[in-house]
Amino acid sequence: MRRGDALRELLRSGPGIAGTTLAVALFVVALYVLLTFPLDFGESQWSNPVVWVDNPKAVPPVWTNALRRQPQPPHRVFEATEPDMIQMARSGPVHTWRFPLTYAASRPPTFLAVTLADVNYAERPPLVLISLKRPDGKQVRIFRHAVRGPREGENGPFQRYAKTPLRVQLSANEATVTAVQKFVADEFDLRLKSAQIGGRVDRILFGLPDANFADDIAPLPGDYEIIVQAALRAEDDTLGKVRFVVGGAVFGWMGTDSLGRDLAQGLLFGLPVALLIGIFAALMSTAIGTTLGIASGYLGGRADIVIQRMSDIVANIPVLPLLIFMLFIIGPSLWMIIVILVAFSWPGLTIQIRSMVLHMRANQLIEAIQSLGASRRRVMFRHILPQIMPYVLAQLIFAAPSAILAEAGLSFLGLGDPSIPTWGQILETGFRTGGIYVGYWWWIVPPGLFIVLTALTFMLLALGIEPVVNPRLRRGQ
Amino acid sequence: MSLFRPLLLRALTMIGVFFVVLLLLVLTLGLTGFSNRILSATIGEQLRAERTALAETIRDPEEMEKVLEKRREELEIFYGLRTPWYYRLPRTVLRVLTLDLGEARTLRSFDGSNRVFDIVMERVPNSMLLLTTSLIITATIGIVAGTYLATQQGSWLDRFVSGFAAVSFAIPTWWIGILLILILSIQLRILPSGGMYSTPPPMQPLPRFFDLVQHALLPVITLTLVSIGPSMYSIRTITLNIAQEDHVNIARAKGLPESRVRLRHILRVAAPPIVTGLMFGLAGSLSGSILVETVFNWQGMGRLYYDALAGTPDENVIVALTFIFTLMYVVIRIVLEALYVFLDPRVRYTD
Repeated sequence: MRRGDALRELLRSGPGIAGTTLAVALFVVALYVLLTFPLDFGESQWSNPVVWVDNPKAVPPVWTNALRRQPQPPHRVFEATEPDMIQMARSGPVHTWRFPLTYAASRPPTFLAVTLADVNYAERPPLVLISLKRPDGKQVRIFRHAVRGPREGENGPFQRYAKTPLRVQLSANEATVTAVQKFVADEFDLRLKSAQIGGRVDRILFGLPDANFADDIAPLPGDYEIIVQAALRAEDDTLGKVRFVVGGAVFGWMGTDSLGRDLAQGLLFGLPVALLIGIFAALMSTAIGTTLGIASGYLGGRADIVIQRMSDIVANIPVLPLLIFMLFIIGPSLWMIIVILVAFSWPGLTIQIRSMVLHMRANQLIEAIQSLGASRRRVMFRHILPQIMPYVLAQLIFAAPSAILAEAGLSFLGLGDPSIPTWGQILETGFRTGGIYVGYWWWIVPPGLFIVLTALTFMLLALGIEPVVNPRLRRGQ
Repeated sequence: MSLFRPLLLRALTMIGVFFVVLLLLVLTLGLTGFSNRILSATIGEQLRAERTALAETIRDPEEMEKVLEKRREELEIFYGLRTPWYYRLPRTVLRVLTLDLGEARTLRSFDGSNRVFDIVMERVPNSMLLLTTSLIITATIGIVAGTYLATQQGSWLDRFVSGFAAVSFAIPTWWIGILLILILSIQLRILPSGGMYSTPPPMQPLPRFFDLVQHALLPVITLTLVSIGPSMYSIRTITLNIAQEDHVNIARAKGLPESRVRLRHILRVAAPPIVTGLMFGLAGSLSGSILVETVFNWQGMGRLYYDALAGTPDENVIVALTFIFTLMYVVIRIVLEALYVFLDPRVRYTD
């Protein structure tokens, strides 16, 4: 059968179409991930808490707001380098950044955080002030920071927060709590102890406290503005970067885990990894299985006996306990997982291929080729292999999902490669840290769905390819 | 002779399996230095304990070091750390082969025994409760539905079951378990999410039994849900293949009632492969399911194996368990092969 016919046959069956479509989609996404993500994503990003510090922890995806009666506050990040306005004051230039924030949610933000980076000054350190302007016209200063002055023996110009930016979690910041205390006293005539405010900073800032404070503070929706001012002392002083985060209770397409990691990114990166595991393990085990099968069937004699006994033994080894055992001792690495999976998965194919080759050896065509003096290797790889190739191809596709599922299972037991995030590992973290028992479904369901989807794609392809490989199953017969 | 030659060959293969597993075990433990590390840790622990005890009597630090050094030498000889692993580990394996499973270092049975044998005997019934139950359910439904489906070839129900079976192969069982926990025990709060008994466990036998059943429900449902599709599908296919054979056509042509044809002429022939499949499942249920037992925190064999590896690695338990898993598998395989020869007369004539 020609290649074009085979493809047409594949696309004639339901599973064939579904499998091909899914496979194409998965490979396109995987390619996109490979091109846009750093290859050391696991180590440089996923396992690096600094990257995720500004994300809300363990919140569901944004689209869940569509299903909710009361929308959860979204996550907002304001970042700027150039100031919106420069004024000259007596002390020096004042740089101002203004971040408008329309707030409609019934819940306050989960946290407020500010990050300052790249401060340069010639002589005297600048002062940074942040205020929140509320829809009711009231303004409250929530942050005041004097950049560290020159150290003894240090000469200007001075550089601050260049390598490690200054990050302050305002909701837990003592000075902010004091400022809020003063704000409530001045504007609402409420005298509160700081212990009464702690933990409710965001609620007060984005709400209307009233006299009986014990009740829930009514939220105050409307247009807010975050005003960041840097009072610099000289013309050339700079504040290089300002970042203000209004923590949401929903995040991104897939939500976050308990470390604030963007699950969408982890899940995306898991796709090429899963495909790699599936395809590589399948390729290796099929190659070994086919080669040994052909050799066993065609060469016969002692080689046959040795290979058959070997595959009999390996086929009967209880794999999972041994796999867990070896991985645990040798240490988790993705390549080790693949190697061990391959080492135990070739015998089934060898036994099948052998019986196919045995039939073929008695074939007149093969006999004729042999009598023409073709070498054994030539007969095996030029004449026998092409005939069983379609079958081998189907087995190749069929072997991929089991490798993917096996890796997921091992990862779920905590034996995954820690430097490469996989779906199984995301599930494992969700399960081990108890995410499942508090109902963080967005952390538990999607990785499993992706595993199933990928495995199913290969299953469908294999089902679709079966009639192509096995003409007896072809339609119309 | 024709009867025993294939049997003998199978038995030899199984013994081969057994030795390959043990060899891999010894090589992995030895070559990676894992075994030595475990032993050094044990000795270090013991020395630390002795140092605090000796500190009462020996004041001089130099004297102390000398005594401890001597003690370390003794311990290293006692534990066999001085002999290389390729002498020491085979000896452990030989001991295990005589069914002396040894003692666990940290793991204990529920009544406090540290003999691996006691621990294992306690866990096997727990595993069986989950896996054997689910196997019985799966097999019953599989046989009834599978033979029925074989008569409905090509119907929407038949196609649905085939699709369901294909999907089942692509679903990790443990993930279904997690999903069921999420839905049934976290969201709807119908069933407990894990463990074998409530805390505190009920003391009366009857409430205790119902408590256990309640806890076993979710894992059993999980296991059944994932294996029911493939079970129905494979029994359907076996039956279907036999239904197309000539003797069935002849039976029908003789005018035998359909029920009789199905029972006597199809099912009778289909029985051996189905029974073997069942026996295999039964053998598997003794060793538990590592993943499902982990998900449901079920104190079975699989969980035991995981605990022996994950917490403080326990060489004795690891070797003993791998040995038991393989032994059970191999013995049951040999028994099955023998049984099969008697169940299915055709095997006797084909080599």
